[in-house]
Amino acid sequence: MKLMKRVIAAALAVSMTVSLSACGGGSAPADETTKAAEQKQETEAAKGETKADQAAGGEEVTLRFSWWGGDSRHEATQKAVDAFMAKYPNIKVECEYGAWDGWTEKCATQLNGGTAPDLMQVNWNWLYQFSGDGSAFADINALSAIDLSGFPKNIVDQCVVGGKLQAVPISTTGKCFFWNKTTFENAGLEVPKTIDDLMNAGAVFAEKLGDDSYPLAMYQYERMLLMLYYLESKYGKEWVVDGAVNYTVDEVKEGLDWICSLEDKHVLPKIELLLGDGATILEKNTKWANGKYAGFYEWDSANAKFQEALEPGQEFVLGEFLTGIGDYEAGLTKISQCFAITEASEHKEEAALLLNFLMNEPEGVEIMSTERGIVVNETASKILVEKDLLKGLTYEANQAVLKVANFTFDPNFENSELKDTTGVYYEVFENISADHNATGEMAQYLVDEIERVQMENPY
Amino acid sequence: MKQTSWRKFWKANNGYAYLSIWLIGFFAFKFYPFLSSLYYSLTNYNLFKSGTQFIGLQNYESILKTSKYMKAFGVTFKYAFMTVPLKLLFALFIAYILNFKLKFINMFRTIYYIPSILGGSISIAVLWQFLFQNEGLINMIIRLFGGDPINWLGSSKYALFVICLLRVWQFGSAMVIFLAALKGVPEDLYEAAAIDGASKFTQFMKITIPMITPVVFFNLITQLCQAFQEFNGPFVITNGGPQGSTTLISILIYQNAFKTYKMGLASAMAWMLFLIVAVLTAISFISQKYWVYYGDEER
Repeated sequence: MKLMKRVIAAALAVSMTVSLSACGGGSAPADETTKAAEQKQETEAAKGETKADQAAGGEEVTLRFSWWGGDSRHEATQKAVDAFMAKYPNIKVECEYGAWDGWTEKCATQLNGGTAPDLMQVNWNWLYQFSGDGSAFADINALSAIDLSGFPKNIVDQCVVGGKLQAVPISTTGKCFFWNKTTFENAGLEVPKTIDDLMNAGAVFAEKLGDDSYPLAMYQYERMLLMLYYLESKYGKEWVVDGAVNYTVDEVKEGLDWICSLEDKHVLPKIELLLGDGATILEKNTKWANGKYAGFYEWDSANAKFQEALEPGQEFVLGEFLTGIGDYEAGLTKISQCFAITEASEHKEEAALLLNFLMNEPEGVEIMSTERGIVVNETASKILVEKDLLKGLTYEANQAVLKVANFTFDPNFENSELKDTTGVYYEVFENISADHNATGEMAQYLVDEIERVQMENPY
Repeated sequence: MKQTSWRKFWKANNGYAYLSIWLIGFFAFKFYPFLSSLYYSLTNYNLFKSGTQFIGLQNYESILKTSKYMKAFGVTFKYAFMTVPLKLLFALFIAYILNFKLKFINMFRTIYYIPSILGGSISIAVLWQFLFQNEGLINMIIRLFGGDPINWLGSSKYALFVICLLRVWQFGSAMVIFLAALKGVPEDLYEAAAIDGASKFTQFMKITIPMITPVVFFNLITQLCQAFQEFNGPFVITNGGPQGSTTLISILIYQNAFKTYKMGLASAMAWMLFLIVAVLTAISFISQKYWVYYGDEER
């Protein structure tokens, strides 16, 4: 018994010592880590070609690959990964995937803790948010296994952050108008083609379908994007240039007043009505499902979930870009997703092989198809055209928006301080919806806050 | 000789060895983060930015100067001061009823405790959202009685009330503690009062309440601490909206820490929240000599 007690006491003492030393032991300073990573990367780049070959047929390695998305994306990606493993039997790939909710936080924790997967699907703005100094993601140019010849240079260049190409763009996406054609027909209208058509539809909806029917329904962040559509159509300027809002406060106020006028003319429901519906996204709002709300302005690649949410018997169509606001075509586009290889990965070349398989090799491209939007890689695009896989509403919408794609976003546009539910866009659009006289004050606030965020997050 | 002194030492301190597992957990996962957050609150520490600097009280100053943060503190106070008294009153009322010798009383006690088990869960928060939406059950009932439906979730006037109600509904834990206290009040006091002609209400006010004040005090402190830390309800039901009317400070702490990665600022907010709760708790402790009756003391 005494011996037992001594053993327990000794074990406890050891565990305490270990835990104390663990607390005291710090990680290497960030600068040193970066330097070490840079040195390692230079060495790897020097050996590049041979490493890619070695990776293809060399020692057995296990890769981790993560992405977010819906079921169909999960299935396609897993199938593509299986095909990759069949082709490269020495490389085993462990997949980590889930829904978007909470995914950013998970990835942020992994990247910060050095436990991120080797290959990750990332949002374009993550490159700035998580790796502005280039410490989180590897330099794609230093990896010989990836063929970038089919990628448009102007799009690839947008992934050069902190002086290195940190990711490979998968697809671009743009904002489009989508309509519930059936509801418009019930009101005796065609889907709108001009801003006047839309403005007139408000009154007709109220009269013929009832006060709770609206031609357009959009929440806070989407209203910000709609305001940009208005301002850019009218003034033809980018929203932010060199870290400053490129519009005067009066111009921004005009944009906010225009959004308020949509509420006044029964085109848009007030935000308090939308929130009272008990859903914070339109596709989960029952009034979208039953056709009471008949339109929205969304990313081309997001249309499927809205279409699926509709009750049977309703026709869902892509709309034209509304004209009549100004002289400029204000199609907004952005890189929707990228693949990045983490700097902490011990198997960068193998990860590069997987990335190349998914984005360039016919087998991988065909399986992945348009699960991550309409691909920007022309090599992949040709393969999909040959296989007749580039079709459908998402493709049509993407082609439509690319024709008028004159504007894009700055890296801070989707910064959490602006875009999240307690962020500035939410504050501004909730406040002006509640009080239309607050547009002047809110315009100034919006400009000030955006410029503060730009100053705190230079790029 | 050595062994004897070791044995003496062991005999005197072996309790600490048995406690050590808990102590390791406490120091590693509570005390160290607690202290380190104080240090971080004095820095501009950002998870994804290098060059963390000591900036003194700048984070605290920034919080005090930012109307959005101060509004969130205001909303948090409003939430706590609406929720805690309502919850205590409700819990005491139900405990009082459940203290009667009724048929199936144990079943009723169990039923009333169920919300406390379920209440903090995300699924119940989602259910709450369904109940209070424009076309939800609550508005259906209001319409049934000829009333006008209320925009519970979309109006800045009512949204906080919906969140408060969710917390008040989880009265079970406080109720169980009140019930135990009510059972501890000596029967002879009621008998003597009844002989003197005291009504039930007078007995409740003059005997029951004074006798259970230590438990009221205990529930007050625990509920106050919990209310200031509320997160799930407003996060799931209203996302802090509309117009920030349900943005409690805990939501902004989360946003700053895990959305914008400003750990320094988030730590400062957490420390301000901690100080507020500490001051309120201290005030409650100081005030207890005026209203809390402990049976073993002269009054």
